Amino acid sequence: MNLKTDLSDSELLRSMLTGDEEALALLYRRRQGGVYRFALQMSGSKSIAEDVTQEVFLFLMREGHVFDPARGTLSAFLFGVARNHVLRRLRVEHLLTPLNDESEDDVPLIHASSDLCPLEDLTRAETIESVRKAVLSLPAKYREVVVLCELQDVSYGETAEILGCAIGTVRSRLHRARALLLAKLRPVGEFEETGSATVKSARCFA
Amino acid sequence: MNCQRFESVVSELARGQMMAAELRGEALAHSDACDDCARRLRDEEMLTRGLQSLGTEMESLEAPPAIEANLLMAFRARQAAVPVTVTRRRSHSAYWVAAIAAMLLIAIGVFVFRWTSRPVDDPRTAAKQDAPQRKPVVVESPTPKVLNEVENPNDKLLAETPKPRRNRNASQRRQASPQLANHVTNEIATDFIPLTYMTAANFQDGGQIVRVELPRSALVNFGLPVNMDRYNEKVKADVLFGVDGTAHAIRFVQ
Repeated sequence: MNLKTDLSDSELLRSMLTGDEEALALLYRRRQGGVYRFALQMSGSKSIAEDVTQEVFLFLMREGHVFDPARGTLSAFLFGVARNHVLRRLRVEHLLTPLNDESEDDVPLIHASSDLCPLEDLTRAETIESVRKAVLSLPAKYREVVVLCELQDVSYGETAEILGCAIGTVRSRLHRARALLLAKLRPVGEFEETGSATVKSARCFA
Repeated sequence: MNCQRFESVVSELARGQMMAAELRGEALAHSDACDDCARRLRDEEMLTRGLQSLGTEMESLEAPPAIEANLLMAFRARQAAVPVTVTRRRSHSAYWVAAIAAMLLIAIGVFVFRWTSRPVDDPRTAAKQDAPQRKPVVVESPTPKVLNEVENPNDKLLAETPKPRRNRNASQRRQASPQLANHVTNEIATDFIPLTYMTAANFQDGGQIVRVELPRSALVNFGLPVNMDRYNEKVKADVLFGVDGTAHAIRFVQ
């Protein structure tokens, strides 16, 4: 048992594919949290997150042989599968309950008492809830980089693997996503005063 | 550093990402000198703290235990299904082998059946095939009608068995015909008595009838009555030879 806990993800996967149930259990316990949280942070729905988590590992049972260690880590592979499932579910859910899109980016979700330090005036729980809602309101392509890079602490390189894009694209999307989040979290008064939270390159050339 | 340059690094600065010390120093110095950039940095830092708090808050979240139970159940079911699938595949392959073997046997059977029951186009083949069923040589005699009348194709074949005669040209046939006619009209012959196990196959390459004279005592050997008054006289006989020189049948002529 102790020997198996020391095995890498790839080794556990190989063992699982040969019919080792214990390897599946170990792999699941090792990776389910990240997958579940990713799905939850992407969708904001516990039921979707649970379904996606189950689907990801069922996929691993069926198609685990397609994983190629040379192309990345198993964790990145699982995030990629989870991302596909989440986006598919969100597309279906979107037909019933429209999600916030870019047209709603300017709508602030919280109102701080201070113009300069909106987040400082909030209690921790309120901050967390505000940020969570702000993240959920992001367009999917920005939401996924925030979830991966900011909430899951995945590196730029691994995020690029998961999303199938260049690292530069990850950087630029994250930069844009953070600007959008600030715009959502900024109070209405200041937001109207500054006009936009997007980069104002001509603001100052000091 | 200007604000544009500061904007490009402010996120990494706020998130505490690794960057060159010189660049970091320049950015911090710029934020000290520029109020807008200082506020920008402050917002970014607060956003970073908010995201970190959210991440920390959700760090303990995990999928419900029921999912693991479901997955393990599905895994067991899948593992249980695999041997069944393999078994079925094996049985399917066995069926295929059996089916192919059966088809081969049927094909061979049909081929053999068709080969053995092929239509009688070639008299030689027909003779070869039908010979075991036919009785020993029977040539009706002594009338021409009996000689020429053949009850079945095999008999006809045997009647025509002496190939050299059949293959003779017309003049030869004209010369032979009077002799045959003399035999038919002037002689009385017994049936051909087989000397060996004779089949039509013995004559497929031709044959010959040779007139010989034998002592009358030879009649006894074939169970024929002998007139003791003429015991010392010779008796005429036609011996039917095959191409191999073997005498296959004999008939006695008077």
